[in-house]
Amino acid sequence: MSEFFQTFLNPGVMAESSGLLLRGLWVTVQACLIVVPGGLFFGAGLALAQTLAPAWGARSLSWGVDLIRAFPPLVLLVLIVHGLPFLGIEPPPLLGVGIALTINTSTYYGEILRAGILSIEPTQWEAARSTGLGTMATLRHVILPQGVRNVLPDLAGNTLEAVKLTSLASVVALPDLLRMARVAQGVHFNPSPLILAALLYLALLWPLVRLIRRLGGRAVLPA
Amino acid sequence: MSAVLELRGVGKTFAGVPALRDIHLAVGTSELVALIGPSGSGKSTLLRCCNRLTEPDGGEVVFEGSPVPAGGAELASVRRRMGMVFQAFNLYPHLNALENAALAPRRAAGLGQGEAETAAREALERVGLGDRTTAMPDELSGGQQQRVAIARALALRPRILLLDEPTSALDPELVGSVLRVIRSLKEDGVAMLIATHEIAFAREAADRIAFLADGEILECGPPAEILDRPKSERLQSFLSRL
Amino acid sequence: MRIFFDAEVLAAAWPGICSGIGVTLGLALTSIAAGVALGLVLATVRALLRGAPLRPVGGLIAAYADVFRAMPPLVLLVVLYFAAPFAGIELSGFMAAFVALGLVLGASAEEIFWAGITSVNRGQWEAALSTGLSRGEAFRRVVLPQAVRLTIPPLTNRAIATGKNTALASVVAVPEVLNQAASVQAQTASPAPLLLAAGVYVALFLPLVRIGRWLETRFHIR
Ligand SMILES: Nc1ncnc2c1ncn2[C@@H]1O[C@H](COP(=O)(O)OP(=O)(O)O)[C@@H](O)[C@H]1O
Ligand SMILES: [Mg+2]
Repeated sequence: MSEFFQTFLNPGVMAESSGLLLRGLWVTVQACLIVVPGGLFFGAGLALAQTLAPAWGARSLSWGVDLIRAFPPLVLLVLIVHGLPFLGIEPPPLLGVGIALTINTSTYYGEILRAGILSIEPTQWEAARSTGLGTMATLRHVILPQGVRNVLPDLAGNTLEAVKLTSLASVVALPDLLRMARVAQGVHFNPSPLILAALLYLALLWPLVRLIRRLGGRAVLPA
Repeated sequence: MSAVLELRGVGKTFAGVPALRDIHLAVGTSELVALIGPSGSGKSTLLRCCNRLTEPDGGEVVFEGSPVPAGGAELASVRRRMGMVFQAFNLYPHLNALENAALAPRRAAGLGQGEAETAAREALERVGLGDRTTAMPDELSGGQQQRVAIARALALRPRILLLDEPTSALDPELVGSVLRVIRSLKEDGVAMLIATHEIAFAREAADRIAFLADGEILECGPPAEILDRPKSERLQSFLSRL
Repeated sequence: MRIFFDAEVLAAAWPGICSGIGVTLGLALTSIAAGVALGLVLATVRALLRGAPLRPVGGLIAAYADVFRAMPPLVLLVVLYFAAPFAGIELSGFMAAFVALGLVLGASAEEIFWAGITSVNRGQWEAALSTGLSRGEAFRRVVLPQAVRLTIPPLTNRAIATGKNTALASVVAVPEVLNQAASVQAQTASPAPLLLAAGVYVALFLPLVRIGRWLETRFHIR
């Protein structure tokens, strides 16, 4: 048993690699701070566009959304981070990662918000209109606040997915938590940093999972 | 008259609140006993204690001379011979009428597919639905659904039927068809214990009526005695409010 | 623009990507089958033990679902591939990816099946038990068929997600589509193989994504 601890939870190795892991954790947090608000923002835009567009517009948007969803997120990420330079665009790595993952996750946020908008009874629209509110004002002050509340568990669920997604950044050499754990593992030839990183992800995301359960959320999220 | 089913001092408490207290009640062969009483008085609990869908926490339920076993295959075998009909029908929505009635003969009684379907078909004919065997539950009226539910219980040739307000969920014009089926079963000699709010039906069809209030049987006797000469104040006010 | 569709590079990349498609499909189908089976078994155990003295088992299963919902699949894969050897467990890249994807899908599938099972009305259990069916038979013939209907759309979506996540296996040197494309890209310094791979993924998954969307509207269980 103690041998097991020496190998997988070696205190010395963990202490020495903690600086590296903390720096990685900070990069992961930064990625989340781009991807989650970005995804929500563009997702909201998408949902509004789909709600307000004429039927053919909404249909083409839904094809566009599905086209993006057909890409594995990692493929989208590699394509953008390794493909853009060939077009002469070389965004800083964190931004490249942010763009790719935001594109991916905003399609899910968009779909969830749209379901929220659709969950509101048409009578709410009529009531707001009858008081002289315009379309945008009705959406903003009457429909969205209620709609968002209806889909809060799904929004939280997708936020969980978005945070998990940021671990992909390690593949394109962004020094995030997972990447730094791999580096530390290489340095010490000991898996403790990897285990520690996994535990950090759990510590970060377990509360979110519990929260989603409390909100009545399910794993019934789109692909 | 030998009793098919007998409750001896049965009690049940939910979270400290007694729902049944010291119930003594027997149902004889071919006898129809009606349970009446205000809602919340414990009628459903009493019925469910008989086949242990609700576990009684005191007393004894005796079926055909032996105590109802606590679980396992022995309990399952008793349940087969003690049909239950629910207020909300509880038909299996993914199975058609025949499959609803044939499931237990096949999978609980272990009959072959052919025998099970024959038993199911006969039961459906008995409730007047011999021509709707392939209908799905959502294609049937409430009255028809409840008759399929009765057929589901009958297909196992039970010694007694437990019916929990079988007509309470039905539109008024559909109540008659279900009551007619119950009456014809009585003529065939099927023993029944039935919770009901249909007082006129109880008067005319029941051999005895038990009045339940706050989990206790306050009065029990022939319909004329219970309905026309109520002794307790509770029963008098219950009847006067109908 | 030419650099993106360099015919020579595409021709060089094509055979590798073709064999990559086989690996991608093989990994996807095996881990989806394993994950769905795992989820179904766990949800069944949980349902049959409910109310029985073995109740804590249900808690353990729920905890498993929570842990693997919180764990990014790539982190799990990396741990399995790079850390497990220190415990004497040498997994090939394919096996590591299979186990990681299977465990993650298993957790979602368990949760989806469980949600389906608990949404079946209690009266269905009671009706079945009242006719003398055993708990197992009641579950198999009455509860599960109704639960499965509710689980089809979300399960399809999670299965598609698992299929897409096979791209993660490229990280542990499994020669699937992305990995094949990346290695040709490294040799030729051209983005063309990546674009080809992207096209392959769209061809594979766009129809599935559309089917998933159709199922969701068809079974509409929001
Ligand atoms: N599963 C249960 N949990 C807690 N209380 C219950 C349960 N079932 C019944 N009760 C309570 O037991 C009492 C009797 O209920 P019930 O047998 O359903 O009455 P009835 O069928 O006569 O309307 C009621 O007070 C009811 O609230
Ligand atoms: Mg009742």
